[in-house]
Formats: sequence, C-alpha cells, structure tokens
Amino acid sequence: MMDRGRGLLRTAALFLSIAAAACGADPAADSGQPAVALLTAGPVSDAGWYAGAYEGLQLIGDSLGFRVSHQQTRTPAEFDEAFISYAESGYGLIFGHGFEYQDAASRAGEMYPDVTFVVSSGSRSSANVVPIIFGLHEASYLAGMAAGSVTQSGTVGMVGGVEIPSAKGTFIAFEAGVKAVMPDAVVLETFIGSWDDVSAAKEAAAAQLRQGADVLIHNVDAASFGVFQAVREAREGGRTAWAFGMNRDQNDVAPDVILGSAAINIPTIFLQTALDWRAGTLSGPTITGLAGGSVEFVPNPAHEGVIPAQALSRIDEARASILAGTLDVPAIDFLEPAAGESPSS
Amino acid sequence: MAEFGALSSSFLVAAVGLGVPLALAALGETVSERAGVINIGLEGSVIWGALGGALGALALGPYGGLAAGALAGGLAALVFAAFAVWLNTDQIITGTAVTIGSLGFTGAVFQSRFGATGLALELPTVPAWEVPVLARIPVVGPAFFDQAVTAYLAYLLVPVLGWFLFRTRRGLSLRAVGESPEAANAAGVPVVRTRMLAVVFAGLTAGLAGAHLSLVHTGTFAENMSAGKGFIAIAVVVLGRWNPKGVVAAALFFGGAEALQFALQAVDADLPYPLFLALPYVLSLAALAGWFGRSRAPEGLASAWPRG
Repeated sequence: MMDRGRGLLRTAALFLSIAAAACGADPAADSGQPAVALLTAGPVSDAGWYAGAYEGLQLIGDSLGFRVSHQQTRTPAEFDEAFISYAESGYGLIFGHGFEYQDAASRAGEMYPDVTFVVSSGSRSSANVVPIIFGLHEASYLAGMAAGSVTQSGTVGMVGGVEIPSAKGTFIAFEAGVKAVMPDAVVLETFIGSWDDVSAAKEAAAAQLRQGADVLIHNVDAASFGVFQAVREAREGGRTAWAFGMNRDQNDVAPDVILGSAAINIPTIFLQTALDWRAGTLSGPTITGLAGGSVEFVPNPAHEGVIPAQALSRIDEARASILAGTLDVPAIDFLEPAAGESPSS
Repeated sequence: MAEFGALSSSFLVAAVGLGVPLALAALGETVSERAGVINIGLEGSVIWGALGGALGALALGPYGGLAAGALAGGLAALVFAAFAVWLNTDQIITGTAVTIGSLGFTGAVFQSRFGATGLALELPTVPAWEVPVLARIPVVGPAFFDQAVTAYLAYLLVPVLGWFLFRTRRGLSLRAVGESPEAANAAGVPVVRTRMLAVVFAGLTAGLAGAHLSLVHTGTFAENMSAGKGFIAIAVVVLGRWNPKGVVAAALFFGGAEALQFALQAVDADLPYPLFLALPYVLSLAALAGWFGRSRAPEGLASAWPRG
C-alpha cells in the first residue's frame, strides 16, 4: 500500500508539473538582466483582457531586453505562491493582471520591499504596490454612444462575467453612453458567472437578442467568442445585429460582426510602467484614460459608414468634453482611501 | 398567448442546448459509477473532446470532428483508468490530476497551434436535422427534434443504457462490480476489465459532450471552455439517481436552470443571478440526502480493487 501511495503522489506531481510547464512557468531568473513577470488568472489566449497583458509582457521583453515570464494562477493561494516564488527568483517587477490580485500583492509587497508589484484595476497603493486604473469606462461610454446610434430596436445588451467593479464600471458607462444618444433605450445586463464559458455566454447573448436587443457588448474573456457567435447566428436568422469588443482592440477577432471596440492599449501602458520602474520613478496609482491615449473607442474600419457620420461627430465632441473635463462619465471608484486618510479625502 | 408560446419555445431550445452536453457526459458517468468508479477526470475528457473536436473538424469536417472529440475524451479517460483502475490509485486524487493536467495540456496545444494570444476560431459546425412530424409539435418540437446528431445520440442512449444496465447479463455483472467487487470477482466477473471499459465509455461520451460544445453549440474553441461541465455532470448523475432516465431528466433540469436565469436576467437585471446558478446543486444535495425517495449510490463506488 505504501508503494501505491508514493506512486500516486509521483503521478500527481508529474501531472501538476506538466500542467505548470504548460502554463508557461519559467525557471528562476539568474542573469543580470532586469526580470519582469506577469500573473494572469485565466488563459492569455482570450484575444482580450489577458491577451493584451501578455502582449505587454512580450513588448517589455522585446523592446527593453528584459527577461520576462508569465504564469497562469487560478486560486488566491496560487496568487500568493506565485508572487513569492517570482520575488524569490529575482524578478523585480511583477504584474498581477486583475483586481483579484490586490490582497496577495499587498501581502507580498510587505514581505519584499525591494520588489515592485503592479495590480491592474487594483485598489490599494503603497510604496511598492502600484495599482493601474485604466479608465476604460471612458471608452466604454463612447462605445455606448455608437451602440445607441445604430440600434434599430432601441434595445442593447451587455454580457458580463462576474459582477466585479472593473466589469460593472464599464457597463454603467456604456449604458450612460447609450442613453446619451437615445434616452429611452432599454439596456439589458446579464452576468454569466464565468469568464471562459463560451456556451453560457452564447446562450446569455441569445436570450438578450430574443428579448429584442440588436447591439451587444461584453465584458468577459474568452467567453466573448460566444457573444460574437450568437450575433452571427441572429444574422443567419435574418436579423440585423452587431457586437462591440471590449478590453482590447478586438475588431479583427470577429471582423464580420464587431462594429468597434472599447479598447485598452495595455502593451503601451505596461511598457511605460516598466520604463518608470527602471528609472525609479514608478509610484502611486497609475491612472490612465482617454487623456493619456491609453484607452480608446476604435470603430472597425471594415464597417465604415454603419455608424452614421453625425453620430461619429457627436462621439468626437463627447471625447473632447471628457478630455476637457466638462463631461463626467459615471464610474466606479476602485481606489480605497489610503490608510490614515479619511474616506472623504 | 402566441408570444408566450414563442418565449417558452425559445427557453426550451436553450435548455436543451445547454442540457445535451451534460446529458452525454452524465450518461457515460452513470455507467462508470455503476461499475464502482467515480471519474473526477470527466472534466478533462470534456475539454479534450472540445479541442479534439475542433482540430478534427478542421482536418476532417464536422462529423470527423465529433469522432475525434469522442476519441480524445476516451483517451483521457484511458489515462485515468490506467492509474485508478489498473494501478489502483485513489480515484478522487487521480481524477483531479487528470482534470488539472488536461486543462493545462489542451491550453498548451491550442496556443502552440493557434498562437499564444488566441483567436476566435470559426469551426465548421454540425448542422441540425429536423425530425419529420415530431419537429412540428408546438413548443417542444423545435426544442427537442430540430437538433444536431449529438442530441439524438443522447436520447438514444437513454433506452439503450437502461436496457443494457438492467436487462442484460453484462449489465448485471457491471452493476455487481459496482456494488461489491469481491462478490463479483468470486462469481467470475473480470472486475478490472469491466471497470476499464466502463470508464473509457464514459470518456467517449464526455468527449462527445466536449465536441458538442465546440462543434454544435459555439462553433469555436477557447481554453477552459468546459467551464466545469464535467463536474456538473457528476452532480447530474447524483440527481438522476444513477438511472439513465433520471439522469437525462436531471441534465435537462440543470440546462433549464441555466437557461432560465439567462432569460430572467435579460428581462430584469437586478436578479440575484448566483442564487439561480446554485439552485440545481441544492437539489442535488437534497437528492443525496434522500429527500426524493430511495436514492443510493452503488455500494462499491470509489472502492479500491487490487489486481491479482
């Protein structure tokens, strides 16, 4: 029996190590080059949120010559473990791509004061823990204006993964954008409880299409493929329907159905973060948005003319107003007040 | 009234669409558990089926893809069976290792073939076949009888497995292995071979379930797209009380619960959606606790059976 037990452990260890290797874990850093690591909670093959982060990591490696490593971590226990093992292996800058990494990054930040931890959509800032707030809601608002100007039914839909601040924030802004051009529009919202479940996203999108929606936006990861497929099938059924991409310029992901994307230029932001880190000037939360050119609403050039010229000029005006500070897009404030500050400050 | 008919019909279409992969995986798992093996690696077979289906369809067309998906799921189950049945390792731990390993492996294969940052593959899909006459039945007709071949296979498996498990000598032997491997062995039933075959059968149907996800339902592949359906199928077997008829009804119920919460959220966004997602599991627990009458897992489920 003892033999069997050990054999089993070996088997399990073998599977786990193969799985870890498959996820792209990299042996310890040991040369003199600065080393940068990225943690994602889902596969980078989502052509969206995580893919953008992975492209950012590659850009840092290609243009700065830093050594880079990526690891997929699924559970909060793995978040802690991965931060620690990268910090122990000499990685000086570690990205946790998603607000779910905040707590683990804060803990690791206290343990490794010489390592900088960056949390995408993070909420707490300290000397070496730096949140990046992308300001995607501003681009999502503009996408909402585009959706409101092309809907014929007056109903648009939003399919989300889990109701977390970053997802909810883009939806609130999208809805406000739709209603800015069509005040009595109906805006449907469905959360599917998963980021990767393509078939659930497809059924959720199909239910919204049946409810009358003819323009859909998403905030999921790879599950977005299901939203695009639902729109495609609605068209095969003789309807006019469009989808919008989110998080990354997805216009080429499903070019036949995507009318535009509320996109973050994650690679550029990651590269700038790495440059600031090397220069020793990276501190405090990095807050970006339309102003920094790091998010944008990108109409799909393949469907020029579908969004009316008049609507495009209204979108340009709104963009200018946001940049001028005269138009406040509804948003969710991710950042918690720093310790010792009163919540109102 | 006409609108209500259209709505309930489209709800049923969604329920069947989401229920078919659960039914396929759970019907296979029913046979495996009846033989005394609980395969937590079923999720691994589903994701291998989805990827095998996608690659197979690109090379051989949609039906070749379905076959490739079933085969890929069967192979994953064979790995599980080699350890858990042949080498007699712990079924739960081995199944977990197979699932985790499969999710990682399929991701690595997908990324090496299609690039790390992914793309929305457009796969050739398996078309629906309308069953003459039956598809014209109001409301239920289009939902049940205008489906792809995977749905009809699931329907067909219900009487076939019911007959096999409860009306044939081999079915009796298989159930004996699941109830008491010692007694079955004493009666001359080859325990290891029976269990291996039952597990691989479950892998084939779970692989087909995965291929249904990529080739029938979504026409694409994404890493992790199995999204726990293999685990849900194990709950479906419990709720269906290890009986093919009950299992297919339970699969439809799980599919229906998911479809219902999408339909309700599309109408009213303020719905507490996690409650609806949790409902089927609560009922599965109730079924395990015996609240729906006699319900008993096979006596020898997850029991070890050393060879020789």
